[in-house]
Amino acid sequence: MIHGDARMAGIERGPMVTMLVDGGVVVAYEGESVAAALLASGRRTTRATSRTGESRGYFCGMGVCQDCLVTVDERPNARACMTPVRDGLRVHTQRGLGEWGGSR
Amino acid sequence: MTSAGCVVVGGGPAGLAAARAAARYGVRVLLVDDNPELGGQYYRRMPAGFGVAGHHAFGRESDEGQALVTEVRALGVEMRLGAVAWGIFDRRIVAIATGDATERVGAETIVLAPGAYDRPVPFPGWTLPGVFTAGGAQNLMKGYGVLPGRRVLVAGSGPLLLVVAHAVMRGGANVVAVCEAAPLAGLWRYAHRLLPHLNFVQRGYRYQQDLRNAGIPFLTGHVIRRALGPAEVTGAVVSPCASDWTPLGGGERTYDVDAVVVGYGFVSSLELGRLAGCEHRWDAGLGGWVPVRNRDMESTVPDVFIAGDGAGTAGAAVALEEGHLAGLAVANRLGRLAGREYSREASRARGRLLHLGGFRRVMDEVFRFGPGLAALADGETTLCRCEEVTHAEALEAVREGATHVNEVKAWTRVGMGRCQGRMCGPALALQVARATSRPIGEVGVFTPRPPARPVPLLALAREIGGEVQ
Repeated sequence: MIHGDARMAGIERGPMVTMLVDGGVVVAYEGESVAAALLASGRRTTRATSRTGESRGYFCGMGVCQDCLVTVDERPNARACMTPVRDGLRVHTQRGLGEWGGSR
Repeated sequence: MTSAGCVVVGGGPAGLAAARAAARYGVRVLLVDDNPELGGQYYRRMPAGFGVAGHHAFGRESDEGQALVTEVRALGVEMRLGAVAWGIFDRRIVAIATGDATERVGAETIVLAPGAYDRPVPFPGWTLPGVFTAGGAQNLMKGYGVLPGRRVLVAGSGPLLLVVAHAVMRGGANVVAVCEAAPLAGLWRYAHRLLPHLNFVQRGYRYQQDLRNAGIPFLTGHVIRRALGPAEVTGAVVSPCASDWTPLGGGERTYDVDAVVVGYGFVSSLELGRLAGCEHRWDAGLGGWVPVRNRDMESTVPDVFIAGDGAGTAGAAVALEEGHLAGLAVANRLGRLAGREYSREASRARGRLLHLGGFRRVMDEVFRFGPGLAALADGETTLCRCEEVTHAEALEAVREGATHVNEVKAWTRVGMGRCQGRMCGPALALQVARATSRPIGEVGVFTPRPPARPVPLLALAREIGGEVQ
């Protein structure tokens, strides 16, 4: 985790929304992807792998690599880079293939 | 089953240009793209409601892209956005999944414009969060105004490195260095060939000057050796490399960084063309597999056309022309555009392609991929990010007799994960070629299988029908 907001200064953004990430409130802006909002808030790790449990996060940023998987509204394996934020969205970082039902 | 005169897969420059050209002549076009917005990677722009001082000001590409998108929409092209084309059956049936639903579209013609993605190059630490592809970092900045980190190392090869480093710097973060693997010596030899393309050259030169004025080291003939950090990136080590990009001992430098951006050019997305049965060939100049096409952009499968970076990466300007040509050819094929007018329009586009090809060939030569990068990975380095197969595991299969990438796949699970081998395929080919002392083009390429992208089981179950729980 890095500190502070990684959003560039000087850009007006759309309406503010909030999502819950592992139970904590994260501020985002309408139109952002979940991955962009997570990175902006300093959260770089989205999941732990099945075999070795190592950390992974946003890599290709265009839906190809399947590394930024998160659980969205109790459903695992959403690509954070391709999922738009929404007010009240519940995001969980996940372990392996994740679990249906939210908690990991 | 629905039907269409033409299914275009990919909503970037090539796909949009193809859809526009075909729809202009009255072809019923269905356009599919994985992203929620049209434009692909090149025309990616910030969401509606974002702006600078009241303006939606995001540069020339964005304006050009918006104009094209507006035109395509006005022509009544049907869209499937946030949707994946996951299979092509019986040559003409395209399977498309949108969320939890899937449909099959019978297409009279198909234009594949799937684009390309950053060539994955494994090195120790390349799976750590905080390591980004150049395209990924670019999308983050261009699409959302979010920086990849506060202290950033940019490494790899090609013109995109300068673009990304410049964006990071302008965005207010520190770029500790830019490592360009190519030696870039004797560039003056290309002067006469670059003369007709001064606009591109000037842009690159200006970026480099800006970086120099900001005191950012531009290290040519250097590669990133490893990313450091137990769980996320905390540092990076670079060193000089040989002319084939083999890392050299000595001269190592370590940087404290919280992000590493790596880009070694691009590889084409081939899976749909291969699923359709199109023939492909290894192109050493482009450093990758490309579909065999005729001058109408038609593949070896009749009525299946392939345009843009998905057919060898050459950038947006080339993609626009190739897409345009493919769209014209579709209109001609479907009897909407008569032979004479077709010939006239097509030869104009071919003329522009010929001009652009000059610049493309210089770039391909200057930044030709160096296979010496195969030496970056050690045995413990992850090769297949999805299935977590290491280089040692893959190379053991080669020692036991595997000579084709598909054999290594069957023995070790490399390439069997969710990304369907897109990330490890090119890197595995490099390793197999090196271990068996053969050219990369002779070790094969993964056989794609439908679904070409992950599709929810629910979507497939619903298609079959019956009760779904």
